[in-house]
Amino acid sequence: MNAEQIRKLIVLMAIWAALLLAPYWMAPLGGYTALATRVLVLGLAAMSLNFLLGFTGVLSFGHAAYFGLGAYGAGLTLKFLALSTPLALVAGMLLGGICGAILGLLIVRRRGVYFAMVTIAFGQVFYYIAFQWSSLTGGDDGLRGFSRQPIDFGLFKLDILTNANNFYYFVLFCFALAVGAMGFILRSPFGRTMIAIRENERRSRFLGIPVERHIWIAFTLSCFFMGLAGALYALVNNFADPRGLHYSQSGDFVMMAVMGGMRSFWGPLLGATVFVVLQDYLSSVTVNWMSFVGLLFVLVVLFFPRGLLGFFQRSKA
Amino acid sequence: MNVLEINNVTKRFGNLVAVRDVSLSVAPGELCAIIGPNGAGKTTFFNLISGYFPPTAGSIIFDGQDITRLATHERVVRGMARTFQITEIFPELTVFENVRIAAEVSSGYRLRPWINRTEAAQVHEHVEETLKLVGLETKTDRLVGELAHGDQRAAEIAMALALKPHLLLLDEPTAGMGDQETYQITQLIRRLHRDSNYTIVLIEHDMRVVFHLADRICVLDQGKMLAQGTPQEIAANETVQAAYLGYAA
Amino acid sequence: MMTQLLLFNVTNGLIIGAFYVLMALGLSLILNLSNVINFAHGGFLVIGGYIAYTITPYVGFWGALLLAPLLTAIIGLAVERVLIRPLYGRDPLYSLLLTFGLAFMIEDGTRFIWGPQGKPVTIPPFLAQPLSNELFFITGYRLFMVAVVMIAVALLFLLLRYTRLGVRIRAGTLDLETVAALGINVRMLRSLNFAVGIFLAGLSGVLAAGQLGLEPTMGTGLLMPSFIAIIVGGIGSLPGTLVGGLLIGVASGVTAVFFPAASEAVIYVMMAVILLTRPRGLFGEEGMMS
Repeated sequence: MNAEQIRKLIVLMAIWAALLLAPYWMAPLGGYTALATRVLVLGLAAMSLNFLLGFTGVLSFGHAAYFGLGAYGAGLTLKFLALSTPLALVAGMLLGGICGAILGLLIVRRRGVYFAMVTIAFGQVFYYIAFQWSSLTGGDDGLRGFSRQPIDFGLFKLDILTNANNFYYFVLFCFALAVGAMGFILRSPFGRTMIAIRENERRSRFLGIPVERHIWIAFTLSCFFMGLAGALYALVNNFADPRGLHYSQSGDFVMMAVMGGMRSFWGPLLGATVFVVLQDYLSSVTVNWMSFVGLLFVLVVLFFPRGLLGFFQRSKA
Repeated sequence: MNVLEINNVTKRFGNLVAVRDVSLSVAPGELCAIIGPNGAGKTTFFNLISGYFPPTAGSIIFDGQDITRLATHERVVRGMARTFQITEIFPELTVFENVRIAAEVSSGYRLRPWINRTEAAQVHEHVEETLKLVGLETKTDRLVGELAHGDQRAAEIAMALALKPHLLLLDEPTAGMGDQETYQITQLIRRLHRDSNYTIVLIEHDMRVVFHLADRICVLDQGKMLAQGTPQEIAANETVQAAYLGYAA
Repeated sequence: MMTQLLLFNVTNGLIIGAFYVLMALGLSLILNLSNVINFAHGGFLVIGGYIAYTITPYVGFWGALLLAPLLTAIIGLAVERVLIRPLYGRDPLYSLLLTFGLAFMIEDGTRFIWGPQGKPVTIPPFLAQPLSNELFFITGYRLFMVAVVMIAVALLFLLLRYTRLGVRIRAGTLDLETVAALGINVRMLRSLNFAVGIFLAGLSGVLAAGQLGLEPTMGTGLLMPSFIAIIVGGIGSLPGTLVGGLLIGVASGVTAVFFPAASEAVIYVMMAVILLTRPRGLFGEEGMMS
């Protein structure tokens, strides 16, 4: 193994060490486990979005819709179908992914701002449905009346409802699976075609890559991951929020990816951490936290567009 | 069987007729050069061949199959590779990575989430061989965006070659190059033609290059095929002489 | 009875549509020339309304109607110069994010300056009268709004067709490079174009204030329909945006007769239908998609 590979391995190990030990190093810093869980889930969402945005170069701004769908899918499953956490997660993931697959078919021929506009508009459709169909979704109040269920491993039950640490590790496990899958895909020949499309779409087409089809696949995959993140998020609060479907949530995810560094695999996780911590801090300190968040957007775009990890010139997943 | 048969293609953009009733046949192993003044329709003609847009009329037969309505990537998969006047590469990837993508597509791996060690090794070897063919084997880990113009064009050609094409379409391969680089690329194309027997169609403005390389020359003017023939015939053709050979270097 | 109900809703729809048109045209102008999706457009609407509220005691209703949009446009000019100009030529992602953040700042800012409660807005009493007992739903103010919109739209199209600025904007929409090569100051063109778009947003705000009342979040509800008006009408086409806005307004109004709950959903359905059957929009041009 050469020097670069060793360096990468060390960085990877450091990241995982930090994640594994989070409940222990957070407390002295004034944090708490539930915050870490939240950051992890939102980080997964940002990474799922970045799978499309940063690695395929596709400007999807309505991606929160699939996040929200995942949340509602999980919540509705727990509330009406079965008291099973794994099933809820799978249901959320499928709901987000399948809707993404269908919508993706409609929009993959568009690019740039047109694509962005349409994704935003479609995202709003789901927001609107969640709001209006209040008999099913609880409308403005959101979906309540469900909670994450202990996981039955046969020999013992893992209580993730009352034990925050247990839940954190459970979420970390799901995170690891998802992130592992993402990394695996990005390193594959298919993943390389995604990067090729981002780098030069015309050249990709003239190398025999069916660009629209590959974008659709990348879009669908990212929606599946997004749905999983949403499902996990519903479990975090035992609550599914229609605002999670709104385009402002999409904007938050994009900002996390940009802030952390779009060309970097782990960037969005870092971006999510900074964003969540900042937002929490600001809303506790001032009533006008919204202006500051807006200001953050403006400043990052104008002065910091490559993000924190964007100092690396090229990305290798 | 001819590699390429273009039958009476016409391309209209609204009221503008960019290509008018042009026919061309290219035999295996032939190098055909298309020349003509700016605006003659050469690039439009290329775009028709490579599938950037469909012709208004006429048909295109490639390796005996009608590809007139086929999308670009399908034509590539069937063995047609193209380079562009303004080099189209992946600037922030290395030379190796650039060519690897082409190699993986041509091996049929483009949708694969995983390839095993043997397959990866084969791809690796394929890439190395192709790079050796174009003379870039010492620069495999350089970012393509940082290379000199001539090397970038060579990299682009390597990508085209990695696709194992039956037909190479080169759009002004020496565009924007000084004498040294022009020589380099011309020699490369000559090697590909004479030693590796590639069938090549190219657009060129530099007459030295054209006369050095071409088996056959086609002259386009205002969308129409003015003349076709060997370099000697074209050089002797008075109509062509009067209009075009005066302007080139 | 049914016809009267239908008439009521179609008229309602046209009035709403007129609103959508005014907003969507401004958005469309900015999108077409500068490739920027102005998420803060709703914010400028709000600014327009609040400025009108603030200056009415000094210049009266009519003065505010003229001055508030102008002042809003000047603010828009400043914003464009300082914040948006650095982003031209970059990935459209960045202008999207920036205007997005800007929208937050504007909403919170108005809340900060004028307070979170809605403000009462007085309109000249003669406008508040309904037209007649039969057509009770057509109040003078609503007619006035439609009239103002019509005049504004007419002036806009006249501007675009006959003034030098307008011709340059139209040319720039089609081919900005050539316009630049002709020696025209493209930066100034973009700034002025942006200002015109913001003027329309500010005007919408003044009108909306009289109709809906004034509060910091009033702009957000109009942003999505404006988007959809543009998608339905066809990106790149101003007449398309005009038609799109009216269409979705009327569709919304008519649906309210039969399925009141679905009147908002119907505009999304229309968008989906357009994307499936004629993706470039009613008046859109082939190839305007990227």
